[in-house]
Amino acid sequence: MERIFEVSGVTLRFAGVVSLSDVSMHQNRGEILAVIGPNGAGKTSLFNSLTGVYHPQEGTIVLNRKDGEPLSVIGKKPHVINSAGVARTFQASRMFNALTTFENVKIAAESHKGLGAIGAMLRGPRTRKDEKLSDQKTWELLHFVGLSEKANTISASLSYGERRRLEIARGLATNPEVLLLDEPAAGTNPSEKNDLVVLIRKVRDEMGVSILLIEHDMKLVMSLAERLYVLNFGSVIAEGTPDEIRSNPAVIDAYLGTTTAREAK
Amino acid sequence: MNFLQSKLTKKILACVGITALICLMTGPPGSPTAPSAGIVGSFKNESSFFGLFNTQRWVVFLILGTVVSTLAFLYQSNKTEVVKATAKVVSGPRTLLQHRLARRSTLLALFVLALVLPKIVTDAFWQEAMVSQIAIFVLLALGLNVVVGFAGLLDLGFVAFYAVGAYATAWATGALPLPPLFGVHINPFFAIPIAIVFAMVSGVILGIPTLRLRGDYLAIVTLGFGEIITLFANNLYGITGGALGTQAIPHFSFHVGPVNYIWNLAPVPYYYLTLGFVILFIVIFYSLEHSRIGRSWTAIREDEVAAESVGINPLKYKVMAFAIGAASAGFAGVITAAQSNYLNPATFTLYVSINVLVLVIFGGMGSIPGAVFGAILIQSVSMYLIHTPPSGYQAQDLYIYIGGLLVVMMIFRPGGLIPAKRRGRTQVEASSTASEAN
Repeated sequence: MERIFEVSGVTLRFAGVVSLSDVSMHQNRGEILAVIGPNGAGKTSLFNSLTGVYHPQEGTIVLNRKDGEPLSVIGKKPHVINSAGVARTFQASRMFNALTTFENVKIAAESHKGLGAIGAMLRGPRTRKDEKLSDQKTWELLHFVGLSEKANTISASLSYGERRRLEIARGLATNPEVLLLDEPAAGTNPSEKNDLVVLIRKVRDEMGVSILLIEHDMKLVMSLAERLYVLNFGSVIAEGTPDEIRSNPAVIDAYLGTTTAREAK
Repeated sequence: MNFLQSKLTKKILACVGITALICLMTGPPGSPTAPSAGIVGSFKNESSFFGLFNTQRWVVFLILGTVVSTLAFLYQSNKTEVVKATAKVVSGPRTLLQHRLARRSTLLALFVLALVLPKIVTDAFWQEAMVSQIAIFVLLALGLNVVVGFAGLLDLGFVAFYAVGAYATAWATGALPLPPLFGVHINPFFAIPIAIVFAMVSGVILGIPTLRLRGDYLAIVTLGFGEIITLFANNLYGITGGALGTQAIPHFSFHVGPVNYIWNLAPVPYYYLTLGFVILFIVIFYSLEHSRIGRSWTAIREDEVAAESVGINPLKYKVMAFAIGAASAGFAGVITAAQSNYLNPATFTLYVSINVLVLVIFGGMGSIPGAVFGAILIQSVSMYLIHTPPSGYQAQDLYIYIGGLLVVMMIFRPGGLIPAKRRGRTQVEASSTASEAN
């Protein structure tokens, strides 16, 4: 099976503090992959390394695009990696608060067009056509995530669940091959959580976008992910299907403390 | 002790303290023969209370201070009522302006007013001020509004681009020690594109290294850049003419066939030229604001990390904002150079940068009509005070009045005179939901 992300031997340090140590993993195209681990295990650092926010000192991260050369991620700027086909959401959702839901998505939908300052000033036929296309795409995506009724709402006044969906729509608007979701269920209520699971599956099934997610909610992860990696203290301690992970002693140790500690209880 | 701890006492004490400070700051200076004249004069000298009655300076400031702080106090204790009342006052014209026809006819009326203004205002001082103080600052405010308002980049050295535009004009017309390109002394008309390009290029040159910085750091670096340009103008005698300034810069002129027409010092032709360019810049900036570029600027301003994650290159758009904002400042430089037909570095001080920033904040950050009307209003007030000062008025008092105006504005309309739609939305939304809850 083709691998969309290939991470090998990645080590990320912050002035001596090791955040990721020798992490190797891969993601197959079209897979829903999850990364779990206790707080501070390095999950978000891994995400930031995959999207060009952090630049690991050692190792390689290769993105295999559908068409085009494989891209080495380390050392590239976030916007370059996004253009290459990697979209993401954030742990604490980050929106363009002063803008409406519609504008939030539209900005992403049109970000990869050429600069066209002159065209933008003159509003020529090409600019108008481009705008029409991005408007159309934005509406489609808002329908897809179920936010079309909130299109003209200021994004700052959306609920947590709606924000998550807006972030997903915004990510999808950049035509990604893989979508990285950083704790998408944080701060959502049980019914929103169920909707989210349905939506994430729909993104993969209908749009063919691979999903990589970080999540603390074990029920959600186990029902959604097809394969998991478990991080602890910056290293991968386990890899496998949800069933394999559930019964893995190293994982149980990482989450519940060492065997001796458990016995002491 | 209870007396000292009461809220009212604290407020009164703060008011008295600030009044004393203001008196001492704006009072007359002392001298070796009368060292205490400054301190005594600050409180004893008389001044007119806006032409109504004469009283001591400290009384004037105390009354003003009391009015401002009472307004602030009343606002804090009746916030929701005040918000509602201002919203009511504002909503009238706003709903009216939602209709296309009303908007167009308002614009047309303003345009006609601008056209006939030199016929209405015939006073020589005001005709001059309309060009050199009001129109120039409208241009500068429009430019800075792109940088600060649209892209959210705090630029404290905006005067640099104004200076670059002015000195580029002087250079192209042959008024600098540095000979112009190919030794051809050209008419200021042809210097317009040269000055604009120079200003834009200096925006790019300043932008590329500095726009990687954010917030406070950027403000400090741009502050430095503004100072560097002034120092260059001062020190590079062989290029800029140093502190003595330039030689005579020619006025705008037409020499087409038999028609020979030179504009001279009379401000009216410059007024119309500037008006034309103000309208041009408004149209350009407006369409940019509502284009993909304007939306990208807003995205970067709201959350740079998120903007990068959706594929926007922040550096590219920030540099663009700098260059585009610099264009109108560059043009302002041409008008200053050609109309006053002489430049020296003293024109391009930090004060100009701060003043333009005040105009943009007062008018409403990110709002084009705000920048225009903010500039017109504040510059008119300061010109009025310079032209017809009340008795006992001192030049330094201007800053106290402008400061008071800003404070009142920030209390009642924190988004500025005409707040930007994109910026103001969150507040409007919040207050409307709050009033719905009531």
